[in-house]
Amino acid sequence: MSATAAAPAIPEPDLAPVDAILAGYPQTETSLVQVLQDVNRTFNYLPCHALEKVAASLGVPLARVFSVATFYKAFSIKPRGKVIIRICTGTACHIRGAPLLVDEFVRHLGIRAGETTPDMGFTLETVNCVGACAMAPVVIAGPRHHGGLSPADVPDVIQGKSDDD
Amino acid sequence: MSHEPSGRVVKIEIDGRVVEARTGEFLLAVARRAGIDIPAICQHEAVDPAGNCRMCLVEITKASWDGWSRLVTACLYPTEQDLIVKTHSAPVIEARTVLCDLWLARCPDSAYVQKLAAEFGIEKTSYQPAAVPTDQCILCGLCIRVCEKLGPAAIYTVNRGGRKKVAGPFEGPPPDCIGCAACAEVCPTSCITVAERDGTRTIWDKEFQLLACTTCGRTLVTIEEARYFGRKGGLGESYYQLCDRCKRLQTAQQATKVAGLPLTVGGLGEASGRPFRSPGSLTTSR
Ligand code: SF4
Ligand code: SF4
Ligand code: FES
Ligand code: FES
Repeated sequence: MSATAAAPAIPEPDLAPVDAILAGYPQTETSLVQVLQDVNRTFNYLPCHALEKVAASLGVPLARVFSVATFYKAFSIKPRGKVIIRICTGTACHIRGAPLLVDEFVRHLGIRAGETTPDMGFTLETVNCVGACAMAPVVIAGPRHHGGLSPADVPDVIQGKSDDD
Repeated sequence: MSHEPSGRVVKIEIDGRVVEARTGEFLLAVARRAGIDIPAICQHEAVDPAGNCRMCLVEITKASWDGWSRLVTACLYPTEQDLIVKTHSAPVIEARTVLCDLWLARCPDSAYVQKLAAEFGIEKTSYQPAAVPTDQCILCGLCIRVCEKLGPAAIYTVNRGGRKKVAGPFEGPPPDCIGCAACAEVCPTSCITVAERDGTRTIWDKEFQLLACTTCGRTLVTIEEARYFGRKGGLGESYYQLCDRCKRLQTAQQATKVAGLPLTVGGLGEASGRPFRSPGSLTTSR
């Protein structure tokens, strides 16, 4: 219950893409993770009714679909913003100032890590080592990787400017 | 159990005794047949073994292994030729003790876990006990497997790591749950609550209407359960109209009529005094 209660009250999105995704896979349980990955990519999270559709279509109990949806870190059952900002707080990034970056993003976006802005524009997340320690501290904003950031770069990252713009 | 060992008959040694078994047969089953006790918590004859609880750990070795040995879960380990199994060696006891210690940290309020831990000499956990003991579940997964086997597959684990727990989809009342309470029946720690009152049963935060015996009025099963097993087993509407006691009485009356004998109710008294068990539940003991 708590999982759904914590979600911002936004209307369930149009689920037509889910049918299209399902049509691309064999209708068996083995397709489950791939289908969920595509759904998660499309909506940035896994809408309740999408999970129900997937369960019915693949013939997998809904409880198991939910189990898988909550097991992998890559999936979210809470709605997330258009742009997901992931701040690496792994050891290397921590040492090179990740906590300062977190503070700065929190200040600019007015949300804490794990939260989404009311306009559904941004979701802020902290992650552990993303495997690019040489570039520490690392922030991944949407599709873009930013390395060697300082707090002064934060507004640019939020505005979607890449390092070389 | 769907695991049908088909292997050759071989001899293995368990706790110094030579025991016959088929290759592929799980060690726990072999030991039990020989009357050798191995504690096993997540094992139930209704479902395949899953190796979740680790309580059934035993030490195995072979003469050819040069003194090397290892711990395996007896419920899942297939018999092979020349195995030497120790069910209560020092490493085994140590492993089980650590398990109990950890469970006691997770479920300090569970009477079941307390008793189990006490058997291994643990009164207080040596780990940091859970700050807010949320439930008394040891995550053995038996409830999940039994529900899946029955068919509804209404509950699973959600989340992972420290936040892992057993729940329905969206952590709410499970839509596929039929209220049969089989999960609660098999739960080793009895931590799944079932409340019955005024002809209703509440389990997993979901309320069910109970069907009553049309003759004596005792409550039988939930309406959903009757419908589910009625459909699945092709039992027909009338199957759940009478409780087991009234059914026996009815059968006896019919039999008496056929035989032309007078019915003596007293003769049925003993059988009818048995406590009622819902026909859909798994009531076999572990
Ligand atoms: S009550 Fe029956 S259907 Fe519901 S979760 Fe338990 S075993 Fe499954
Ligand atoms: S609720 Fe009971 S049966 Fe289910 S996992 Fe927890 S301890 Fe095991
Ligand atoms: S710690 Fe941040 S990329 Fe490795
Ligand atoms: S009984 Fe073997 S692991 Fe639980």
